[in-house]
Amino acid sequence: MMPAFTKGNEAIAESAIRAGLRAYFGYPVTPQSELPEYLARRLPERGGVFLQAESEIAAINMVYGAGARVMISTSGPGFSLMQEGLSYLVGAEVPCVVVDMMRGGPGLGNIAPAQGDYFQATKSAGHGDGRLLVLAPWSVQEACDLTRVAFDLADRYRNPVAILGDGLLGQMMEPVVLPAPVEPARDVAWATTGAGSGPARVITSLDLEPEALEARNRRLQEKYRRAQQEVRWEGYRLDDADVAVVAYGISARIARTAVDRARDEGVAAGLVRPITLFPFPSQAVRDVASRVRIVLVTELSAGQMVEDVRLAADGRVPVRFYGRFGGMVSTPPEILDQIEQAASEVRAA
Amino acid sequence: MDSPELATMPLPVLEPIKGVKKAPLEEYFTSGHRTCQGCESALVMKLMIKAAGPRTVVLGSTGCMYVANTTYYSTPWVVPWMHTQLGSSGSAAVGTAAGYRALMRKGKIKKEPINVISFCGDIGGADMGLSAISAALQHVDYNHLILLYDNESAANTDIQATGSTPYGAVTTFSPTGPAKRIFHTRWKKNTAAMLAAGHPECRYVATVCASYAVDFMNRVRRALTIGGPTFIHSFDPCPKGWDYDPMLSHELGELAVLTGIWPLFEVEDHTLRLYGKSKAIAEGRQKRLPVRDYLLKQGRFAHFTEDDIDYFQAKIDDMWTQWLIPGVLPFAAEVLNDTPPA
Repeated sequence: MMPAFTKGNEAIAESAIRAGLRAYFGYPVTPQSELPEYLARRLPERGGVFLQAESEIAAINMVYGAGARVMISTSGPGFSLMQEGLSYLVGAEVPCVVVDMMRGGPGLGNIAPAQGDYFQATKSAGHGDGRLLVLAPWSVQEACDLTRVAFDLADRYRNPVAILGDGLLGQMMEPVVLPAPVEPARDVAWATTGAGSGPARVITSLDLEPEALEARNRRLQEKYRRAQQEVRWEGYRLDDADVAVVAYGISARIARTAVDRARDEGVAAGLVRPITLFPFPSQAVRDVASRVRIVLVTELSAGQMVEDVRLAADGRVPVRFYGRFGGMVSTPPEILDQIEQAASEVRAA
Repeated sequence: MDSPELATMPLPVLEPIKGVKKAPLEEYFTSGHRTCQGCESALVMKLMIKAAGPRTVVLGSTGCMYVANTTYYSTPWVVPWMHTQLGSSGSAAVGTAAGYRALMRKGKIKKEPINVISFCGDIGGADMGLSAISAALQHVDYNHLILLYDNESAANTDIQATGSTPYGAVTTFSPTGPAKRIFHTRWKKNTAAMLAAGHPECRYVATVCASYAVDFMNRVRRALTIGGPTFIHSFDPCPKGWDYDPMLSHELGELAVLTGIWPLFEVEDHTLRLYGKSKAIAEGRQKRLPVRDYLLKQGRFAHFTEDDIDYFQAKIDDMWTQWLIPGVLPFAAEVLNDTPPA
């Protein structure tokens, strides 16, 4: 199939339709608004439901209990508002896909690319002990491909799955080969689909008896342990690397160029790119950390994923960090400079 | 009032403006904004603060009137302003008014009238922030004004529909197309009347349109001088969102009133008054213009068929002929005629 030149937000929207999206609930916020705008145009044509919510709080609660494939999308401020609803979804084990095109924060911040929602996406789904499964694409094609993966994971684990992009990924256009449409076979024996002859189905996250709530939590934690098999990551030029750069999403894209330039200059650099941020590829990072002499983490934040990298590296090698934030995007020369500094640090040691 | 002290919280003295030539010359919303050509909401900000005067703190929840007025290190505001979360115009108003009251009560600042005006757009005020506004109107101890500037879309983020978008209008979230010719089938929320009816202790609620500038400023002055929380709903034509020539902003505001789509009314201490051209319409002195004159000047209604226009007209006719209080309260008069069994 010929690739189509497509904007990140629209590629995700079209991929979602082709993954069997039946309903979308949305609320405008830059830089993701093209995603609902595309679905407003295209989803009704394919028999789906596009419904505008009065707030992100409403949007996340509209997907609660939906037995069909459903999606919402937002950016940082809206993702914050959705946290309580996400906690309910996790607690009640209701699947959905949530796209967060991160922008500069905190507060209203700005509408430029950032990666400051890492903590919020990976560390908990709102309050309580729940987790989102989190996917972080670095190209429009991968955003498109991971959208389908997200729906499959959401169904498989009956858990919300987040696609964590950023303003750059959402807004940029790249050639994309769209996947063929599928009609997913789904087991929705849990969904409240209307009165029938069977026993009443109940969707709830309320357990007043501590024993029952502990049991629910154990089940969730067991699910997250099972989800470890979904870890995805990619290594680049790591075989003989002294310096391993760890970056995800658009940062990894920038870091790859810097790694190539470092190689041109004779510095043995490589790249680890986590694709699933939860579950985090801890084992992969640990293995790499055992082979290289120093790790450099780069993010469009003040340092969030770096904590997971440090935990994974577990003191094996020094872990350095370089971040730009507030909508500022690092450049390959900046990362190259950091790689060179890291390399000279280990040479001096 | 919960203490005698509060009863003496100072209120500003702002006399009604007797005509456009008597309006204050001072501007407190000046150059430095980046609103679109023909932006009526910018005029609303300008008139609002002209009426309120310099002893005013302005709070703006997220929306085009916040973003366009405070970006890239510049601002047209001469008075203090503060940005607040999208749905928080009500809460921010209460918090600020409560803060001033406490400071004055403790003698930390001079006891003097300080206006607190919190503005919000339609998606911030009539949708996400509605519960906060409702709560704010219940806190009768605090003096503040919430002004909803309604350009009938989320104009800051690329013109998405809101609860204030009129029936059938094309927005980026409600496109017309082969699957759905009319996507946005919700009728516009009757926000001001809802808030007036639902908050009987709130002393002042009004609808305004900046096309009638003196009326507009006098409603702002009344809201600020009456005491307690107050609410004003302003109807703001938006060239970008409604798709019309920017020179028509003023005319479209007038047409919305003259067609009966936007009734001008105020509720002061439980007394409802239609005013201006809306009063003339209700009293039969002004014939309502057909809605066609208003709708077809705007690209967002360009897909309307004759049937759509007729439907829209019938709904507006209902407002003026069937509603218990024409243009304000959409209850059928049957309720009043109801005779309980003996």
